[in-house]
Amino acid sequence: MPQNQQKGRKTAKDPVETSVPAPLPLNPSLEVNLQEIGKRIGSSSDIVIRNFTNESLSSLSLTFIYIDGLVNADAVNQTVLQPLMESVTLKGDTITAEAAFSMIKDQMLPVGGVKEGKTLEVLLAMLFEGYTLILFEGLQVALAADTSGWEKRSINEPTSQGVIRGPKEGFTESLRTGTSMLRRRLKTTDLRIEEYKIGQRTQTGIAIIYLKGIASEQVLTEIRRRLDAINTDAILESNYIEEFIQDGGLTPFPTIQNTERPDAVAGGILEGQIGIIIDGTPFALLAPSTFFNFFQSSEDYYQRYDISSFLRLIRYGAFFVSMLLPALYIAVTTFHQEMLPTTLLISLAAQREGVPLPALAEALLMELTFDVLREAGVRMPRTIGPAISIVGALVLGQAAVQAGLVSAAMVIVVSFTAISNFVIPSLAIANSIRLIRFVMMFIASTLGLFGIMSFMMVLLIHMAGLRSFGVPYLSPVAPMIPRYLKDIFIRVPLWSMSMRPKTDLGKETRRQGPNQKPQPVEGANQGSPEQPKPQGEDPE
Amino acid sequence: MNTQRKALCLILCLPLLSVLLSGCWDDRELNELGVTSGSAYDWENDQWKATYQVINPSSGASGMGGSGGGSTSSPPFVTFTVKGRTIMEAIERTNLTSTREMFFSHSRITVIGESLAKHGINQLIDMFLRKQDARETVYVFISKGEAGDILDQLMQLTKNQGAGIQLMIEQESRLLSYYPGTRLFELAMSLASESGSAVLPEILLTGPDIMDETSETGRTDLPSRLALGRLGVIKGEKFVGWLSQKQAFGLSFMTDHIETATIAFASQPRKSDKLDASFILQNSTTAVHPVWAKDHFIMDIDIKGSGVLTELGSVMDLNDRNAISQMEESLEQQVVDLVNNSWMEVKKLGADVTGFAVRVHRSDRKRWKQIEKEKSWDSVFKEIEIRPRVSFQIERTGLSNKSFKSVQQE
Repeated sequence: MPQNQQKGRKTAKDPVETSVPAPLPLNPSLEVNLQEIGKRIGSSSDIVIRNFTNESLSSLSLTFIYIDGLVNADAVNQTVLQPLMESVTLKGDTITAEAAFSMIKDQMLPVGGVKEGKTLEVLLAMLFEGYTLILFEGLQVALAADTSGWEKRSINEPTSQGVIRGPKEGFTESLRTGTSMLRRRLKTTDLRIEEYKIGQRTQTGIAIIYLKGIASEQVLTEIRRRLDAINTDAILESNYIEEFIQDGGLTPFPTIQNTERPDAVAGGILEGQIGIIIDGTPFALLAPSTFFNFFQSSEDYYQRYDISSFLRLIRYGAFFVSMLLPALYIAVTTFHQEMLPTTLLISLAAQREGVPLPALAEALLMELTFDVLREAGVRMPRTIGPAISIVGALVLGQAAVQAGLVSAAMVIVVSFTAISNFVIPSLAIANSIRLIRFVMMFIASTLGLFGIMSFMMVLLIHMAGLRSFGVPYLSPVAPMIPRYLKDIFIRVPLWSMSMRPKTDLGKETRRQGPNQKPQPVEGANQGSPEQPKPQGEDPE
Repeated sequence: MNTQRKALCLILCLPLLSVLLSGCWDDRELNELGVTSGSAYDWENDQWKATYQVINPSSGASGMGGSGGGSTSSPPFVTFTVKGRTIMEAIERTNLTSTREMFFSHSRITVIGESLAKHGINQLIDMFLRKQDARETVYVFISKGEAGDILDQLMQLTKNQGAGIQLMIEQESRLLSYYPGTRLFELAMSLASESGSAVLPEILLTGPDIMDETSETGRTDLPSRLALGRLGVIKGEKFVGWLSQKQAFGLSFMTDHIETATIAFASQPRKSDKLDASFILQNSTTAVHPVWAKDHFIMDIDIKGSGVLTELGSVMDLNDRNAISQMEESLEQQVVDLVNNSWMEVKKLGADVTGFAVRVHRSDRKRWKQIEKEKSWDSVFKEIEIRPRVSFQIERTGLSNKSFKSVQQE
């Protein structure tokens, strides 16, 4: 949508309606500055203001400002307050404000990051990041020492994407932790991290991470452009970014992956994708993503290729089951009864005896019930968990059948569908399938298998037209590039994946040397590969 | 998006909407269907009398958990008998008595009563070929007397009787090969072929009473069962006569319908005619070559086969090649007799169920054209001689080279 993008760029210039005023330079008077700051941030209880006054001469007067909770109290005490307050020089009577400023800046702050700020806005921004501000009487410049250190969650196992074999660490809400996790995995000079601040009110830190030379420059430019164009007041989670930068158009399919796993992001980056980490959420984004990316789990590469391939085929199967099974059940039982084996037909008919609802209503009832249960399962307090399972399994499953509200076959269909849905490794695509399933059910109940086929065609055409940052959504299947099919439906052995799967993205296409297949050395003696040479061969 | 494109999209969407309208009319819920598993047709007072066997799903056709139970009073199926001037009229009249719409796609068998077979079955075949949900793959049977009675009889070991009869005929033609199961399309094809004749296996009740109460299926030995009997011969569209089981077997050899068959024969034909050995014919092919001999056709029928000796009641040494040859000869003679016997009867009925007309047409076009022109096939057929040549091989004799009788005597 070129029109929309233009619109986005235009609005980027005039800021959204917020109460942010124009930049205000510091006043020489400390009093005025403090008043202005007080006016801006109010008298919140977490703001600490400490005054430091030279007793002998009133010319030197400093004020420390920091926000409790955003700073590391120890750091403030030991690296800012202590050296300054105990300093003999500052207590001397001949020191001027200018001299004190440069001395403090250069000698007296044992802190990594010390910055100068000349406007109130810059200083306040730093204040909110956990800096300690040092304002001087009589100077139009102030110091900010990096004392930030707030409570962080420690690195835990990812909750939504667990694996049996593989790293068990997940991203935390901290942007810096996220980038450090990737740095630790990709120890290369090519790793680039670019940071943005997005959100007028939240000033959320966003980092895009990629490997220079492997990520496509075109995609990078596009992502940067789309990130720059975001003009909103808040970014609270990665989905905010996802919705703002994903390719437009009405589609149920996600075109950007999200993951909690640093190894998955590292893997994506190594294949030319661009990782986006957002401060405040453990979910990182990966773009561009194709349909098949959503069926690849990072665990695929951590276990033998034959097992991974098998599991991946099961996932594709589960995808179709999850999307089609209730629809097929409706279509076959209401339109195409001749397709069922007779015994099955009779058994189904027997179960449907006395069920008052048509198949569609029956299916909808159960599907919606399951979705309600699922939603309840996410929201409810942990301690009520067993209650929900009992209600779900016994009351709704067993009792609904016995009461004759739904047939037993429908319960099987719905539960199998639901379980299949969980096989798909990406929650994003699993949710879109859930949505498609309902549409499919409606179509199946009006048009039967014919309708299902037609809708599948429509979906396929739609998917073939989708792009994720310029990459066709169904590539490398449509457009077909047989060379890149090695990691799509089955996962071939690692030693045979010598090329990056998406070479259309970046320039460096080869990721490992050729002929990586292990082979025994010809003529080697089994058991001891390094046998000492017989002495006689030695000419000496 | 500009308005022009929007309008275009809308116009394109309208035909799509009409597609949605087309679907709902023919959806049927499973519990609105009367799934017929078999049908039977009779001719009575110039009217079609059709009997439909409708499966009763709630009788626990598949052993539904706790809710059916085996010996409940509700039978596994119910039958409706309706009359009408046409078949469809009769079918439509089932709606006067039934709560469910008849659904024929799962029908497995069709039984034609003798009365109808004598009246003519063309209209019935036409209905099957024309009707949307009727399946041409149903097995067709003929019954002496009322066909409808067959469908009332309960079978043991199966709750779906139509499927049960289908299993019966399929197993018979696979294991015994007395007569081939005839599906409706096969019937139609043979009636429409040059021969204009077809055979239908007879289905009959072995006892005098119909066992049609569920309480009776509790017995281990029903006094009356369904069984396959003779072979009915249809010529044109009408029933002309019966072939006995033995004659039917001979016909199977002539028409190459043998899958596996067990043949009892005399192991030492020179000593006695006692049938004291059996042989399982595992492979058999029949080739028929018509030869014109001045004024009539001679059919060379070459039957080749091989199989296993499975039973031996006389004292013999199977290491002796001569003994085997002797037995083979005896077997061959047995089959030649079967074929000759069968041919006599077929010739008497004058119905070309052997498919000789097709053979003649294929091998001797000119003469066939002549015959067709003169419409003289019936008389030509009556003049046909057959020359059956049988060659069987006993490939294996089992684990022992001697019969147990000879072991005992030693």
